[in-house]
Amino acid sequence: MRNSMPKKLLNLAWPIGISLLFLAAWETANRVLGVRSIILPSPSQIIEAMIERHDLLLSHLWPSLYLTVLGFVLSVIGGIVVAVMITYSSLLRLGLYPIIVVSQVIPKISIAPLFIVWFGTGTMSSLLLAFLIAFFPMTINSALGFQSIDEDIHSMARSFMGSRWQIFWKIRMPNALPHIFSGMKISITLAIIGVVVSEFVASQEGIGYLIKLAGGLLDTTLMMAAITVLSIAGLALYGLIALAERHSVYWQPSSDISGSVGG
Amino acid sequence: MSTERTERLAPVLRIKDVRKVYTDLEAIRNVSLEVAANEFVSILGPSGCGKSTLLMMVAGVVERTAGEISINNTPVIGPRRDIGVVFQQPVLLPWRTVLDNVLFPVELLKQPRAKYQQRAMELLAMAKIADFAGHLPRQLSGGMRQRASICRALIHDPNILLMDEPFSALDAITRDEMGVELLRIWQANRKTVIFVTHSIREAAFLSDRVLVMGRRPSIIMEELAIDLPRPRDIAIMESERFNSYVRQLRNAIEASHAQ
Repeated sequence: MRNSMPKKLLNLAWPIGISLLFLAAWETANRVLGVRSIILPSPSQIIEAMIERHDLLLSHLWPSLYLTVLGFVLSVIGGIVVAVMITYSSLLRLGLYPIIVVSQVIPKISIAPLFIVWFGTGTMSSLLLAFLIAFFPMTINSALGFQSIDEDIHSMARSFMGSRWQIFWKIRMPNALPHIFSGMKISITLAIIGVVVSEFVASQEGIGYLIKLAGGLLDTTLMMAAITVLSIAGLALYGLIALAERHSVYWQPSSDISGSVGG
Repeated sequence: MSTERTERLAPVLRIKDVRKVYTDLEAIRNVSLEVAANEFVSILGPSGCGKSTLLMMVAGVVERTAGEISINNTPVIGPRRDIGVVFQQPVLLPWRTVLDNVLFPVELLKQPRAKYQQRAMELLAMAKIADFAGHLPRQLSGGMRQRASICRALIHDPNILLMDEPFSALDAITRDEMGVELLRIWQANRKTVIFVTHSIREAAFLSDRVLVMGRRPSIIMEELAIDLPRPRDIAIMESERFNSYVRQLRNAIEASHAQ
C-alpha cells in the first residue's frame, strides 16, 4: 500500500508548484499594477526585509518561541495527567469531563485581557494563555486515547495476570500514543496563537509585539516579514511533532491519523 | 488410548454447580463438569449460550455468581499462571513484533525474557511462522495472527489451554487448516484443552469429548465421547464414524432447541 517514491514526490510537487505559481502571480501583479508596499509588499520585498532585518526579527522570535514551547510542554504534561485521572477515577470522569468538553466552546482568547489584569504585562500572561488554550485539546485527545482500549486486549492482559500498573504502561500508554500526538499537533498551533495574541494585548517583546508595532508604524513589509517568520516557526514546530509521531507510532500504516478532537 | 482412560480418573479441572447471573440476565443456570489431564474437551453451543462466559470464569477473568471452580484442587479466585487463553480475535498488540507478542505473558509474569526467547522461537517454528517473528501483526494474515496468539498462550507452558472460538473469525478453508495445525501442536505439546465452539464438525474433529450446551440460561444438555484414533487428519471427516458423531451432536443441539 505504501506509495512509491516518485508518486510521493509528485504528491509533494503539486502543492509546491501551485504555491510558487501563486507567489509569481503576486509578484507580477504588484509590479505591473504598481501596488505600493505600504498596502501590499511583493514577495521579493518581504524576503528582502527578512534578510536585512533578521536580527530584529529573530530577537523578537526567540522569546515568543520560548514561551510557545514552554506553554505547549506544560499543556502536554497537564493534559496527560488530567486524562489519566479522568480515566481511572469515575468520580472525576463524571464531574470533570463534561466541564472540559463544554469549555471547548469558550473562546479562551477572550480571557487574555483578564490575564493582563491578574498577572501583568509580562511573560507570565503569555505563558498562561498559551497553556490554557493548548491544554483542552490535549486533555480530551489523551483521555480518548486512554479510554479507547479494546475490551478483548484488556481481558487478554488480565488472563495473563497483568496488573493495573502493567496494563497502563504496556497497553493503555502505547494505545493512547496516536491520540496524544493528534492532541499535540492541535496544541502546538494553539500555543502559538495564545502567545501572539497575548503579545498583541500587552508586551514589550515578542513577534506579536513586533507585528503590532510595525502596524503602528505603517511598515507593512516588516509586518509581513514577521508574519512569514512566525509561520515558518510554527510549521517547523508542527513538523518536529509529526516527525516524532512517525517514529513513535511506527505501527500505524499511515502517518495521517484522523479522528482527533479540535480546540 | 488406554492411558488416557486411566488419566481421566484424576480431574485437572473441576466445575461444580456454577451459575452466572448478570444484573438482569441469567447467562448460566447450572454447569458441572470435570476435565482430565491432557484431555481435549469441546463445549459446543449456539451463539450467546454463555459458553464464552464459562471459559472466562475458568480463566478467572469473570466472577461467578455461585458454584465452585478448581484447578488441581485449588479454587479459582482470579487469573492464574497455569492457564493460557486463546481468544476469538488474535488480540495481538499492534506495536509489538510477533516475537514480542508471544513473549508478552512472560513479561507480565515478570519472568526473565532471555529464558523464554528460545522457547518462543520454537513455538513459532512449530506454528510455521518463525520467519515472521520480527514482523508487526498487521503484516500477517488472519490465520497467521491466530497462530501467533496460540504460541502466546503456550509460552509460559500452562497446564490448561482455554480456547474461545479461536477460529470463528477465519474463512472456512483456513479454519480447517488451523484445526489440523492445532491438533499437531497439541500432539507435540500435550495440554488439557477446553475448546469453545459453535461448529459441530470442528468439535467432533478436535475433541476427546464434546459437551453440548443449550440456550440461555444454559445447562449442559449432552455429553459425547469421540472415540476416533489419533493423530487425526482431515480425511477422517469423510469417515462414517465421524459423520455418525456429527449426527449425534446435531440431534442433541436440535433437541435443546425443541425445549
